[in-house]
Amino acid sequence: MSGADRSASALDGARAARRAETLGARLPPLLVQAERVASTVAQGVHGRRRVGQGDSFWQFRPFLAGDPASRIDWRQSARSDRAYIRETEWEAAQTVCLWRDCGPSMRWKSRGQPVEKVARAELLLLALAALLLRGGERVRLIAPGTRALAGRHALDRLADELPRTGGEEGLPVETDLPRHARVVLFGDLLSPLPEVQVVVGRLAAIPVVGTLLQILDPAEAALPYTGRVKFQGMRIAQEVLIPRVEGVRDAYAQRLAEQQEGLAKICAAAGFGFSVHHTDHPPEAALLSLYTALAPVTGRR
Amino acid sequence: MIFASPWLLLALVALPLLWWLLRVTPPAPRQEVFPAVRLLLGLNATAETPARTPWWLLALRVLAAALVIVGLAQPVLEAGTRLAGNGPMLLVVDDGWASAADWPRRMTAANGAIDRAQRAGREVALLATTANESGAKPQATPPMPAPELRSRLAALRPKSWPVDRTAAAAALDGWKRGGSVVYVADGLTDGAGYDEFAQAMAAIGPVTELRDEVPGAQLLLQPRATADSLVVPVVQAPRPAPTDVAVLAQSGDGRTLARVTATIAPDAAQAEAAIKLPPELRNTLARVVLEGPASAGSVVLLDERWRRRPVGLVAGDETTENTPLTGQLFYLRRALSPYTELRDGDVKTLLSRDLSVLILADHVVPDGPEHDLVAEWVRKGGMLIRFAGPQTAEHPDGLLPVTLLAGDRQLGGAMSWSQPEPLSPFAVGTPFDGLTVPPDVRVSRQVLAEPNAQLAGQTWARLGDGTPLVTQKAVGAGRIVLFHVTPNADWSDLPLSGLFVDMLRRLVALSAGVAGADDPSGPPLAPAEVLDGFGRLGPPPIAATALQPPEVARATASPQHPPGLYGPENGRHALNLAAGLDLPKAAAAVPGASVDPIGGAPAEKALAPWLLGTALVLFAIDLLVSLGLRGLYRGRTVGRAAAMIALLFAVAPAHAQNAVPPGPNPALQTRLAYIVTGDDQIDSISRAGLAGLSDYVNRRSAATLADPAPVTLGEDDLSFYPLIYWPISPDAGAPSAAAVEALNDYMAHGGIVLIDTRDGGGGGGLANGAEEALQTFTKGLTIPQLTPLTTAHVLARAFYLLQDFPGRYEGETVWVQRDQDRTNDSVSPVIIGSNDWASAWAVDAQGRYPYAVIPGGTRQRTMAYRFGVNLVMYALTGNYKGDQVHVPALLERLGQ
Repeated sequence: MSGADRSASALDGARAARRAETLGARLPPLLVQAERVASTVAQGVHGRRRVGQGDSFWQFRPFLAGDPASRIDWRQSARSDRAYIRETEWEAAQTVCLWRDCGPSMRWKSRGQPVEKVARAELLLLALAALLLRGGERVRLIAPGTRALAGRHALDRLADELPRTGGEEGLPVETDLPRHARVVLFGDLLSPLPEVQVVVGRLAAIPVVGTLLQILDPAEAALPYTGRVKFQGMRIAQEVLIPRVEGVRDAYAQRLAEQQEGLAKICAAAGFGFSVHHTDHPPEAALLSLYTALAPVTGRR
Repeated sequence: MIFASPWLLLALVALPLLWWLLRVTPPAPRQEVFPAVRLLLGLNATAETPARTPWWLLALRVLAAALVIVGLAQPVLEAGTRLAGNGPMLLVVDDGWASAADWPRRMTAANGAIDRAQRAGREVALLATTANESGAKPQATPPMPAPELRSRLAALRPKSWPVDRTAAAAALDGWKRGGSVVYVADGLTDGAGYDEFAQAMAAIGPVTELRDEVPGAQLLLQPRATADSLVVPVVQAPRPAPTDVAVLAQSGDGRTLARVTATIAPDAAQAEAAIKLPPELRNTLARVVLEGPASAGSVVLLDERWRRRPVGLVAGDETTENTPLTGQLFYLRRALSPYTELRDGDVKTLLSRDLSVLILADHVVPDGPEHDLVAEWVRKGGMLIRFAGPQTAEHPDGLLPVTLLAGDRQLGGAMSWSQPEPLSPFAVGTPFDGLTVPPDVRVSRQVLAEPNAQLAGQTWARLGDGTPLVTQKAVGAGRIVLFHVTPNADWSDLPLSGLFVDMLRRLVALSAGVAGADDPSGPPLAPAEVLDGFGRLGPPPIAATALQPPEVARATASPQHPPGLYGPENGRHALNLAAGLDLPKAAAAVPGASVDPIGGAPAEKALAPWLLGTALVLFAIDLLVSLGLRGLYRGRTVGRAAAMIALLFAVAPAHAQNAVPPGPNPALQTRLAYIVTGDDQIDSISRAGLAGLSDYVNRRSAATLADPAPVTLGEDDLSFYPLIYWPISPDAGAPSAAAVEALNDYMAHGGIVLIDTRDGGGGGGLANGAEEALQTFTKGLTIPQLTPLTTAHVLARAFYLLQDFPGRYEGETVWVQRDQDRTNDSVSPVIIGSNDWASAWAVDAQGRYPYAVIPGGTRQRTMAYRFGVNLVMYALTGNYKGDQVHVPALLERLGQ
């Protein structure tokens, strides 16, 4: 890759990151609920409701024998006869692993649609990452050789990494994920259900939980063709000649609904979330659904 | 219907094969890339599969193919019957004057005959029965293939002379090739020799005669002049039904002066149409035309004979004949000179030239050579009009229509009981019929005619008591008319009345016209313009030769002497077709011929182009349908095209609705405006000031301002102007509610009003009371909270960096809106000051500053202009410069 190409792709990455940021700017910083304390969780901004390392004040407790004298809070101790130790709340960050399908079936858009599915998936991925980074979380791509990123410039690095990863088809095979991390998978999820089952089961066994977002083109959802059409698949040399597409539209819709039901069932069994997004819908809607899926649920506290 | 290439129809047998082929070949499917193809696998088994072309599309294609096959077989509709006989076909065409009226129809019929001969593969020859333009006698062409003959037929034109039957019969006798004859007949015998002609035709072979049931040719004969009209006979071969004809009288430039109708009775050959025209118009007549299809027979050319009627005047008393009001010829001249040519001289001199009318006013012609001369002239057609008088009463001569009693009769007077007599109305049948008799015309003296049996018939006008006033007698071809009164007012009031003029006109019109110098031994008259077969004047053909003057009127139309105008420009003689022609007579059909109507068989129509065109359209429809079945074009495309068309139609009305008010469009250029106060002084300062400022701004900045515009509040639309200058004049009176509303609206939508009290801070200025006026004037205005203008304000840095804002006066506070009002981009809608800026900006026509600045100095003037520039920039760009102030802060905020 020449220098010019690299700088151009870096520019593209930065542009994608800006766009994703503006998309995410309308939602408050996302705080992923970390339900379990994991050893892999690094220091972050989540109050863990217990004493630990952190900046926020948690409680004063009376000085006990064995505590180092340097921990005594002299200002508090001066108010009474006893010595107090100031304790802070343990704060930690969650790692969110992101993945998007960039196989040939994702690099497709039907006639009249402005964006390919993969473009939408990457936009949503970056927007979600921007939200998470603003919330202080760490994000990483599910791909070989990536690591968790955090901080101010993480989004740009993520956007740079994005074109370099991918190329694999179908669902992610890598299982080298930190335990108790969160996973968000973007893809059209048109693979046979058993394949999905295998991957989700493998992920759940790590254990990680997460969300699957199915991104579909409106043509895939509605099958708007008429007449005699020969359909060609993109992955394998799949071909099917439909003499009258109008006649099979309902059957197709039913099959698609079955696929989605199956996906939802698999996800529910593994504790994953599942939602569907069409590329003709505004991306904000999908982002909001992801946000609500990842955001802490108040009732569970 | 016949087929020119019938064997091609065999291809129709192949149509079922085509049907089968089309049926088993399904249309090619459309290719679509589709990621979710896995979900579609196996679905086609359940769906119904019309893998074959729909039956209606099949039918469309087979129909188109069938149309192509049938079209290539060249079907011909209405091809008519086959030609009789075999061998060459001789086409005999009458192309005389009688064929011109329906010539296209005849040509169609002849072409139809050639078509049939062509299909039968027979050669065709043509015989036109009229001598052609070069004078050659009718001669049959040699037989030739039909296409060649067709061009010969196309070159054939109807002639303006009659058919030469004898010569045609001779030509037919010379035809020795047999075959059959097709005769396109005009239905007239056209002179002698028709029978020989018919027999010669019948002798050749089977004859097919194409003719109308009654010959349609109509012929206009030479008109006759009567006292008040021109009678034109129209003749035709008798028909069983009445025929209406209309005759048009046309002038030389082709205008129609009159149109008269006549009806030819059933089985009658002739009708007459009388054209009544005033003499002035009658003298401009150049031709008489039969309305309808044009032909040489329907045109009669009129030459000088129909127009020139020279009148000779001779008075008894030659010394006083032209004395005003009393002279004998005075009233005659006045009555006749407007429309006739008058000649003077003695009788002998006058009669030495052609003369239509000779008027003798109380002039006695004694027996002798003069008497004989006049009598001879009258017999040859002259009209002699005589007026009585003392001389005639005493010495009646032989040239009077009636015998006069000696002496005259006095009516009224001092010694008489009788009264002067009025005229009685003119009797029907006299030339004066229809003229109105004025009631105040009285006759006090007259000569009396000796009563006899013929007197009543000779009398054209009478007095109230029945005594004749005008008597006449026809002598030979001419006529003698006597007025029993003098031609002056001595004996009667008649010469004083308009009736006198009318009576003389009628009499002159009654006379025979004269041609130019008809010298039998003069030079021959060359043809100048001749009529073609369609009655149009054109250059003479090569065969046309000159004629001696007397022969012109009698000549028979022929190629050598075609009808038309002969002679020099100033003395045209007309040769008319009808002059030497017998009356048209219907001819019997050729013996033994089969008779067809000329226009009976409709023209044959070749269907091939229509069939092939329809097939093409069907193929186009098929293409569209096929594309549609494959989804290669969308409803959206069609919708877009429909929308485009709809848009095209919608555009025109939309144009009409956007009516721009009259006057220059103020939206086209940016310009400043000032409010008209009504005070000329102030308004001119405002105008000059804003003009000077506009110039300055144009020179110093990129803004381009046009001349300032005066606006009247409440009337003009203010929205075109970025800045309005309002000089407060105490005398102007408070603005009306509409004006206040307009200003409020203007300010609310981004306009800026510069209010100037022009008083330099009150008291010291030249405009006293402006402060109070400002308070009253702005009462209804929505003025925001104001603050003094400081150097921190955008207005102080919009273009120049300003420390003060002088106008004509300096140092006065300028007020602008206080707060940064976000609704209007922080732009102050109103700027109030008292520095009289317009005076400082004003420049007169010489480029000088008419108003000195106070306290003075070039710098103050410059600063005033700079404030003006800032003001304009502020009005044009709003808070743009204000934003510039914050650039460092913005950059800092954006910094990483």
